[in-house]
Formats: sequence, C-alpha cells, structure tokens
Amino acid sequence: MTPPPDNGAYMIAAYAITGVILLVYGWSLWRRGAAAMKDDSAPH
Amino acid sequence: MSNLEQARALVKRGQVMTVIAVTAIALCAVRALLFTPVERFQGPAQKIFYLHVPAAWSAFLAFGLVGIVSGLYLWLDDRRLDLFAEASAETGTILTAIVLITGPIWGKPIWGAWWVWDARLTSTLFLFFIFIGYHSLRAAVHDPQDRARFSAVLGILGAMLIPFIHLTVYLFRTQHPMPVVARPEGPTLPGVMLLTLLLSLGAFTLLYLGWTTLRYGIGRVREAREELHDATA
Amino acid sequence: MIRLALTIAAKDLRAELRSRTALVTALAFAALVLVLFEFARDPTRLTAALLAPSAVWITGTFAATLTLGRAFSTEQDHHAMDGLLLAPVPREAIFIGKWLGALAFALAIDVLIVPLAVLFFNLRMTAEALAGIALVLVLAKVGFTAVGTVFSALVAKLRSKELLLPLLVLPFLVPPLIGGVQATARLLDGQPLSDVSGWLRLLLAYDLVFVVGGLLVFPRLLDE
Repeated sequence: MTPPPDNGAYMIAAYAITGVILLVYGWSLWRRGAAAMKDDSAPH
Repeated sequence: MSNLEQARALVKRGQVMTVIAVTAIALCAVRALLFTPVERFQGPAQKIFYLHVPAAWSAFLAFGLVGIVSGLYLWLDDRRLDLFAEASAETGTILTAIVLITGPIWGKPIWGAWWVWDARLTSTLFLFFIFIGYHSLRAAVHDPQDRARFSAVLGILGAMLIPFIHLTVYLFRTQHPMPVVARPEGPTLPGVMLLTLLLSLGAFTLLYLGWTTLRYGIGRVREAREELHDATA
Repeated sequence: MIRLALTIAAKDLRAELRSRTALVTALAFAALVLVLFEFARDPTRLTAALLAPSAVWITGTFAATLTLGRAFSTEQDHHAMDGLLLAPVPREAIFIGKWLGALAFALAIDVLIVPLAVLFFNLRMTAEALAGIALVLVLAKVGFTAVGTVFSALVAKLRSKELLLPLLVLPFLVPPLIGGVQATARLLDGQPLSDVSGWLRLLLAYDLVFVVGGLLVFPRLLDE
C-alpha cells in the first residue's frame, strides 16, 4: 500500500495563515470593542 | 435603556460570543489536525477542507444577511439595519478572504492547480469584489442617510447577482468540460471526518455571529455617541 | 407612464444627438479599442475569428460602461435634478427613461462595432448569424444598462464616481458577458439559434430580475 502523499506543508500553511488572519482581525475588533466600552463622558 | 447602553450590551455580548467561538475553533483545529484520520489518497492537505468549507459557509451567510438586511432597510428605513449590514459586510470580507486564500493552498496539492474557475470559487471571488465595492462605496459617501441607502442598493443587487454568477459559470463548465473538480471525499464522508466538519461549521458560524454582533455593537456605540454629542453641542 | 418614460428618454437622446460629440467620441473610442484587440493578439497562436466574439463584447461593454456615467451627469451639472424630481413624474418613469436612453446608446455602439469586427477580423457572417447576434446583443444590453442606470444614479453625486462606477458595475456585467460571448461564438460558427437557447434563456432571466430589481430600488435612490 502506497503511503498518503507528503503534502503536510500545505496543511500547515493554510492553518497558519488562517490563524494569523483570525488573530489580526480578532485583535482589531477587540480593541475597537474595548474603546467602545470605555466610559468617556466628555463628547469628542 | 438608552441607545448607548443597548449598544454597549451588544458589544459585551459580541465579546463573549467571540471568546467562545475562538475557543471552539481552536478545539476544532486540534481535533482536525491531531484526532481526525489522514485521508489515504489526498494526504494531510485534505484537512484544509475543515477550514475552507466552514469559512465559505460563513462568508455566504454573511453576504446573504447583508442582502436581506439591505432589502429590509430600503423598505423600513431603520438605521440599525444599515449598521448591521455594515458589520456583516466587514466580517464577511474577512471570511471571504480566508476562503480565497485557503482555496488555492488546498487546490494545488489536491487538484494540481492553484486556481480553477469552477462555479463555487468564482462565486466566492465575486463575493469578494462586491464586498470591496461595498466598502469603497461606504467610504466615498459622507452623508449617513445617503450612505445607508446607497449601500443597501448595492447590498441587495449584489445578493441577486451571486446566484447568477454561480449559474452562469456552472452552465459554462457543463458546455466546456474541463478537468473535473472531483469531490475530494468521494460520495460519502466517513463518520469521524463528518463530525469534524460539522463541529467546524458550528464553530465558524459562531465566530461569524460573535464578530458581527461585536462589530454591530461598535457601530451602534459610535452612532449613540454621535447622537449624544449632537444633542449636547 | 410609458409615455413619460419615453419622453425622458427622447429628451436625453435628442440632447446627445444635438451635441453629437458624446456619441461620436464613444463610437471612436469603441472602434479604437476593437482595433487594439487585433494588435494585442499573437496571430500565430490565435486566429482573428476566435478572438472576435471576446473583442466585440469587451469593447461594447467597456464603451457602454463609460457612457453610463453620463446618464445623470447633465442633471448633476445643471442642478436640474431637483426640477426633475419636483415635476409630477413618477420615479419609475425616470428610471425607464434613463435606462432606455442608456440602452439606445449601448446598442448604437454595437451597431458600429459588429460591422467593424466583420471587416477587421475577416469574419464570415451569414444573415442568420447576424440576426442571432443582434438578438443576443439586445438581450444582454437590456439587463446590463438597467443595472448601469441604477449605479449611475447612485454615484452621480460622488466625487470619485469615475472610479467607483466601473468597480461597482463590472461584476454585474459578468453573466451577460459570458452568455453573450458564448452565444456569439456559436452563432458565428454557423450554429443555429436553437443551439444557444440555453444562453438566451439565461440572458432573459437576468434581464427580468434586474429590470424589476432596478425599478424597485431606483426610487429610493432619489430620496433626499
């Protein structure tokens, strides 16, 4: 029986890139969310 | 509850949902990478499937909601609908980007080509174009009422376009037989793989909902703050 | 209402024809782009006949896209939009009028481009093929100009409208483009109209969806 093809590098690349995107966007969103929750009573 | 309080409640809810979703995604990734068997003929690269398909589902969900909410806005004229569409468009763009990036990385080892013009990938590409157009349009319109109306028109017409793109490319390909993009998993997916897929689908859906709720809340807060500012000015 | 719409369309067309520059410029531009296709191909790898359908459709569509921007620019420039809106004209009539004007313009470009393509690319064009291609062109341009009219009104007030209009409109062009090129290629090849009925049905469906869609959303665009 032939072993499965050795293409794990693609898998790692895809998961890594997806992880980076999720992290970067997630952090951007989180930061904006935190700013929204800050209680600034002085109008800007 | 004032608008600002309502908005902040949404942000909070979005934050909670996002944390849960991110955890879920991380767990699904672990399951996919370590506890789901490697497909015999396609190798480890097949596991990109557990990212690509859930992301695609979420991206199209985001887009579909932008379309529906845009239509509702044109009918009901409620600013909150516009803010939701704006949020869903932003999160949808990120999810679409994930689909378009994981697609070629999956395609090269599995189909032998970085890109194929099949109905699904092509539709996703045009989804991305419409999203980009949506953001460009919003950036170019300064009056909030106009921005809401114009985006809504693009949103609903865009939602009507994508099925046509899908259909047209499908018809094109049935007339021009090209190397068949085989369903990599064959007719049925083994139980353990199916479960991984379903769990990932759930996790990505939750991520979309969490992100969008959070982003919607942020928009609502911005709006509420502007209202307060205008009132006190 | 039809009469109102036709009046608006006729007014626009008469204005264009009187100035003449717009139409002539558009036609000259289209002819030039068509010629570019000849120079953009490698004659040893791609025969003119194979390139012709793509050339005709890309040229016609790009030229039509550029002229779409004009549909509302006259009103914009002379602040005549308010006058138009104050008049007791239903907004749907304004849409139909503008759309028919844009359609006439787009088809005028095609009327020039097709014979030029026959000439430049040495096409063998039978009467049946020509009739079929004319039908395909009309069907495709109907839907395309409907969408284009909506977006033209949308970007009319915006500063970046020259860039934004093509960005927004071109994705909507793709289904009629695919259908149009496929049908045209087959018809040029000598196949009968019945062979391309599938594409014709697609074009017709597209037209129905986007003309009705345009009619429904256009009035909201003109709200103040």
